[in-house]
Amino acid sequence: MKRAVRVLAGTRSRPLPALALALALVAGGFAAWTGQDWYHAAHDDRAAYAEQRDAALAAGEQAVQNLNTLDHRDLDHGLDLWESSTTGELHEQLASGRREFAEQVKAAKTVTTARVLSGAVTELDDRAGRARVLVALRVTVRASDGARTDKDSRMLGELTRTQGRWKLSALGQAPVGGTPAG
Amino acid sequence: MTLTRLLRRGGSPESGGKGSAGGETPGGGPGAGEEPGLADTPAEDEPPEDGSPRNGSSGNAFPADAPSADAPGDARTRRPPDGRLRRAALAGTVAVLVLGGCGFFYGAHQLRSAAPARNHALTDTEATARVAGDVGNALARVFSYTPDGTAAAARSARTVLDGRAARQYETLFARVRDDLTEQRVTLSTRAVRTGVLELDGDRARLLVFLDQTSRRGEDAATTAAAQLTVTARLEDDRWRIVDIKAR
Repeated sequence: MKRAVRVLAGTRSRPLPALALALALVAGGFAAWTGQDWYHAAHDDRAAYAEQRDAALAAGEQAVQNLNTLDHRDLDHGLDLWESSTTGELHEQLASGRREFAEQVKAAKTVTTARVLSGAVTELDDRAGRARVLVALRVTVRASDGARTDKDSRMLGELTRTQGRWKLSALGQAPVGGTPAG
Repeated sequence: MTLTRLLRRGGSPESGGKGSAGGETPGGGPGAGEEPGLADTPAEDEPPEDGSPRNGSSGNAFPADAPSADAPGDARTRRPPDGRLRRAALAGTVAVLVLGGCGFFYGAHQLRSAAPARNHALTDTEATARVAGDVGNALARVFSYTPDGTAAAARSARTVLDGRAARQYETLFARVRDDLTEQRVTLSTRAVRTGVLELDGDRARLLVFLDQTSRRGEDAATTAAAQLTVTARLEDDRWRIVDIKAR
């Protein structure tokens, strides 16, 4: 009995290593292939670029909305938000004109809210940290007498990345009836 | 060298079981003590294992009969657990490799199917520019007409619009066509800014800023702004607009 078992084990032990070796090679090849595939996916420039594009768009839409929102009863908070959403020249403009603007809004007693209808990134320079966005916006102004006016506006924004965050560095209405600029 | 020949003969199927056992016992004794003998014995031990089971069994019987023959005997008794260990290690390695491979495969799939990566807007500059150009031109053609040339606009609508957008356009156009001709309305549309929101293979969503200049008879022209989000589909290597929403 003992011998028969040993005999069986003896005859089987030969083809098994060959099979196991082949299996190990196939498994190794599979692991190597998927490993490099994963490496390429993880280090894909386009994926990083796509993430920056989406980050720029989200930040741009939010910033445009912030800059079109102001409540005369909560001016400080609103204007702080304006300043934290912007950078560069636009930021300086807002900061320097802040007091004067606050007086105007306080006198007018208006509440302005904005809703982003749609936005898209048209240009993105990932290395320089610059992007341009289009934003379609509906701005609602509530006057002191309760009258409400809706206005659709289309805006062109320029974003600059500062300390890893995208902020608006320029904002303006897209001109109507002007010359095409891209 | 007579020793090897003796062993070989002992291992050969012609020799009887008794004869082989008799031949091995004296041979194994001195063989274990001598250096060349040691090297020879395992070398000669291998083929019987390959060969018929009968030979293997006679070889296996040898250490059981003479447990004092240390060198070859030890190798024999140690081999099965050694092989088992090696097999287990191999199975473990294979399992780790396969699992690791599956992990990498899954990871790569996750990375590629992640929402930002799947959207090729701007990442594929050529395709982005193309869809933006195609859609901008299509809108300009469809929404530009002269009082007598409404048929041309309708014709181009058939080539560039599809699905819901085509139906929307047809209902709209059927309603205003007569008025347009009667009131001598000229409309010219230009896409001033086009941004691609999403681009995934043969589907795209765009935000388009349009300038529409209309003129009624001899009146002065007026320009109005329009913002549209457009869904387009690539068919036969051409982008066609399938849905239009005014913003």
